[in-house]
Amino acid sequence: MNLLPLLDRYLITVVDGLAYGLVLFVVAAGLTLIWGVADVLNLAHGTLYLVGAYTAWSLSDGGLTGLLLAVAVGAAIGATAGGLLSLAMRPLSRRPFDQALATLGLSFIGADVLTALFSGEPLHVSPPAALAGSVDLAGHAYPAWRLVFIGIAAAVATSLVLTIDRSRAGAVIRAVVTDAPMAEATGIRTRRVQIAVLAAGGAMAVAVGVAAAPVIGPAPGVDHIVLSQSLIIVVVGGLGSMRGALAAAVGVGQVQTLGVLLAPPATAPFLLAAAMLVVLVTRRSTLGRPA
Amino acid sequence: MTAALHLDQVSRTYGGLQALHPLSLTIPAGERHAVIGPNGAGKSTLLSLIAGALRLSSGRLRLHGADITRLSPESRARAGIGRTHQHPAIWPNLTVAQHLVLATRPGPRTADRISAAARGVNALNTVGLQDRAAVPAAALSYGERRLLELAIALAGAPRLLLLDEPSAGLSSGELHRLRDVLTALPEQVTTVIVDHHLDLVFDIADTVTVLHQGQLLATGPAAAIRTDARVNAVYAATGTAPTRRPRAPQAARPALTVRLPAVGYGTTLLTDISLDVHTGEAAAVVGANGAGKTTLLNAISGLHHGVRGTVLVGGHPTAGMPPHHAVDAGLATVPQGRRLWPRLTVAEHLVVAHPRRRAPSVTKDQILALFPALADRLHHRGSQLSGGEQQMLSIARALTTSPNVLLLDEPAEGLAPAIVGALGAALNQLIDGGLAVLLAEPAMQLGHHIADTVVVLADGTITAHHLTRDLRTSTSTVPEGEAAAAQ
Amino acid sequence: MNSTPRHPFRRIPARAVLATAALATAVALPWAANAYLVSLASTALVMAVLSMSAQLLAGPAGLAPLGQAAYLGVGAYTAALVADTVTALGPVQLIAASAAGAIAAAATGLLAVRTRAVTFLMVTVALAELLHVAALSLAPVTGGSEGRHVPPVVPLPGLAPLASDGLTYLYLLATTVVIVGCIAALMRTRFVLALRAASDHEPRLRASGHPVGRQLLAAYTIAGAIAGAAGAMLTTAHQYVSPADMAFGSSALALAAAVLGVGTMPGAFAAAIALVAVRDWLGGTTGHGIALIGLLLIAAAYLPRHDLPSLARQRPRSAP
Repeated sequence: MNLLPLLDRYLITVVDGLAYGLVLFVVAAGLTLIWGVADVLNLAHGTLYLVGAYTAWSLSDGGLTGLLLAVAVGAAIGATAGGLLSLAMRPLSRRPFDQALATLGLSFIGADVLTALFSGEPLHVSPPAALAGSVDLAGHAYPAWRLVFIGIAAAVATSLVLTIDRSRAGAVIRAVVTDAPMAEATGIRTRRVQIAVLAAGGAMAVAVGVAAAPVIGPAPGVDHIVLSQSLIIVVVGGLGSMRGALAAAVGVGQVQTLGVLLAPPATAPFLLAAAMLVVLVTRRSTLGRPA
Repeated sequence: MTAALHLDQVSRTYGGLQALHPLSLTIPAGERHAVIGPNGAGKSTLLSLIAGALRLSSGRLRLHGADITRLSPESRARAGIGRTHQHPAIWPNLTVAQHLVLATRPGPRTADRISAAARGVNALNTVGLQDRAAVPAAALSYGERRLLELAIALAGAPRLLLLDEPSAGLSSGELHRLRDVLTALPEQVTTVIVDHHLDLVFDIADTVTVLHQGQLLATGPAAAIRTDARVNAVYAATGTAPTRRPRAPQAARPALTVRLPAVGYGTTLLTDISLDVHTGEAAAVVGANGAGKTTLLNAISGLHHGVRGTVLVGGHPTAGMPPHHAVDAGLATVPQGRRLWPRLTVAEHLVVAHPRRRAPSVTKDQILALFPALADRLHHRGSQLSGGEQQMLSIARALTTSPNVLLLDEPAEGLAPAIVGALGAALNQLIDGGLAVLLAEPAMQLGHHIADTVVVLADGTITAHHLTRDLRTSTSTVPEGEAAAAQ
Repeated sequence: MNSTPRHPFRRIPARAVLATAALATAVALPWAANAYLVSLASTALVMAVLSMSAQLLAGPAGLAPLGQAAYLGVGAYTAALVADTVTALGPVQLIAASAAGAIAAAATGLLAVRTRAVTFLMVTVALAELLHVAALSLAPVTGGSEGRHVPPVVPLPGLAPLASDGLTYLYLLATTVVIVGCIAALMRTRFVLALRAASDHEPRLRASGHPVGRQLLAAYTIAGAIAGAAGAMLTTAHQYVSPADMAFGSSALALAAAVLGVGTMPGAFAAAIALVAVRDWLGGTTGHGIALIGLLLIAAAYLPRHDLPSLARQRPRSAP
């Protein structure tokens, strides 16, 4: 059987799924790093994405400069939010469950504030005019902006994985993730590492929200969809594992697009549940199961 | 008579570390079998393998003829294995009486329930906790918790009883109770006991197995083991000849000064600690398990939070501060159990430490020159190293901050004498170069190679100071932590 | 402190008096309050039952679920299906919904009970979202995002369908009393004692021969059955069910009630009613019910009280 015609027919869907998966990866990477380093399960992480999407809607003027400005503003907002979250979580250290509860409360307040500011209707964000046209992708017309987005997102994802897995800063982060008191005993300022990771995770979530607003646009409820799919990615990818999260994100992206096209739509959730089951059965030790 | 328990080439590895080499052992029904050996010998690992809390890396296990290798801990418990844990495992939010409700597994019939309840009451009476039945377990003392866990194990009517250090932390009254309970155990209950209290062990056991560095050293009748030269050699912990050259005591200001009147929250863990370690000198703190050695080292390094008192590292006060203050002042820690980061490579372990201000930098090459074995394994992960390599890496990691004071917690645990000797040689180079070392061990092992002074710790306080010179010339041997446990 | 134990006979009436007074007030409500408040009270009962479902896991078992509304949804759709195709009899719908909630929980619980602490919370969020999406996509059964309308229930054979909000409320109150009775009996069992022990020190419980995995799965299944029953109550109360009913907000409210309820079943029950009052009554006037719930959650997190022992994070120990 020749696979080429099949691939040809679904090429656009596959590429769309890739874009979707990469967006989720950047969000999930921040979620898993914050969880690993600071023990905080940030249930307001989807809200940060939504803040980014609304920032894009407010600031984008159809030009590339406007988009870059919006990304920069978004990153600044996210870093500030992450830093503040780190301070807010301090009195709750060693109470991971209360931390999750507090961030859940923040996500509720955030959702209410965003709805009040931007109405309850889904908003549309257009890509910058300079990239508004379409390009030829193996015989298919494909939005140019989306391809550029995939390129940038892939570059961000790769550098993130390499930073964590290869650099000294990444080694410090992994040391804090696996044994924070020991890291402290070698002089590492674990507190500073936590603040930095929370700020970076927040910045990534908001910035990707800005950049990806034309893919997953601002609307009430998007915060929760992004959060729960990122949680699935974190669970499937294995807590604290960048490569695992990347693979899981790409997989989830395909299930959400290609899977919906190939199989009855209702099978997608069961596919994802099956993926989680496989991971939980085979990799039980990585998931906080008592030894 | 069939064997109660049969081990066939049972082993356990953690990554590159062989915690228990393939071990075969047959324990007849009704035997009182003791397993002894220094810390890190693999005793607790062995009990956990039998109870099912750890999976076997290889080998098979038979209980009364039936293969239990693949059974879960709960299935093994239902097959007749009862156990206690090294750290007493209880349910703090349940009352003592509720513990015994859960400890028995009654069948569906009323008669079963009555007999199960009776077993619970009996077990409680046996360990002497009958007056504490209505008390939440969180309110029990450490020793009472141990006795409660023993009662839980007994109430389960086990055919095979596994006891992990049942005497640790008991008061003398509780110790008598334990001895009585163990001597009065029903004839048919097979017992495997791991303990450091050698008097108790030799009193109770029919057969004694000695483990050392995860390997079987000897097994046989208690009387024979007591006089076995190899066993005594392990407990004397000499091995290779000391590599230490005599050093002149230094009069300069101490590199490390410790004055701790009391450490601990509810219960006091340490009292009246007064200790100085000088530049170019090594001091060993020797004491039994539970004497407070690790607490002392953690109180100095800042890993134990909220310490009040005085800790001066190179003259800088660091007591009660987060650990990085002590690191900046020149202190480095090699913790018990190495505590490597399993997913970091050897090379990464040597770069993550935060560089100290105003300190001469140490290059990776200088450190690797001290531990050449590590140089070949730079890209292996921490979990892939052997026990000796792990210890070298833990020390190497500590040296990357160019410390003036080095704390070592049980560095010889589970290591062969030759490797301990090699570590001693490397450390002596550093000490001669001006490093101050404080080392904690249950018995003099690495201390035998490097220590100039010995401090004996018992029940959280210092009971004796010695110079190793004096100990060497006198007839008495080095104070034995293992023997101290007997007190 | 060595206080003399209180006389057992003095405590029971105090509790009984409180419970009787609460029940009497609840029964009198349809005569005392307007229709809006009565329908609000029906919703409050649904959420109270759902939060007891969350409390069974968060309290004794020490596993905080953030997805119980999914099983409520399964129960609600089952009740709607039964109402349309089998019978209008309320108790039959209730039992069917409860069974469906249990089955859904048993199937997904296989996954959830493999995790502990915050990972458990994470996995339950994900599972609930997947069930939510499934409900949206199974349009032929669920009506998709449009939802399904349900005819009024018949409380007992031979009676007429419930025509008014007041009667519906009283039927739901009776249902709640039955469910509370069942849960009260459950809480006295050795099974629940074992759950508490599992959250205190799991290896010790295993070493005493308890199949902890199966016990937790059983607890998860029972919690699913309770949530399913709440779902049947929901269809009865609203005569309508849609995927919005199984959304994240309801799960969060149920867990928040369990946490605010200082670890007891009556506490969770009362907290759920208070939260619904805040969200729908107070929130209805200000339009910011969700934000109010958010503030309450934050307050709950920072209050220096509940100490659910096993919710502390358990990292896998690295090899020595």
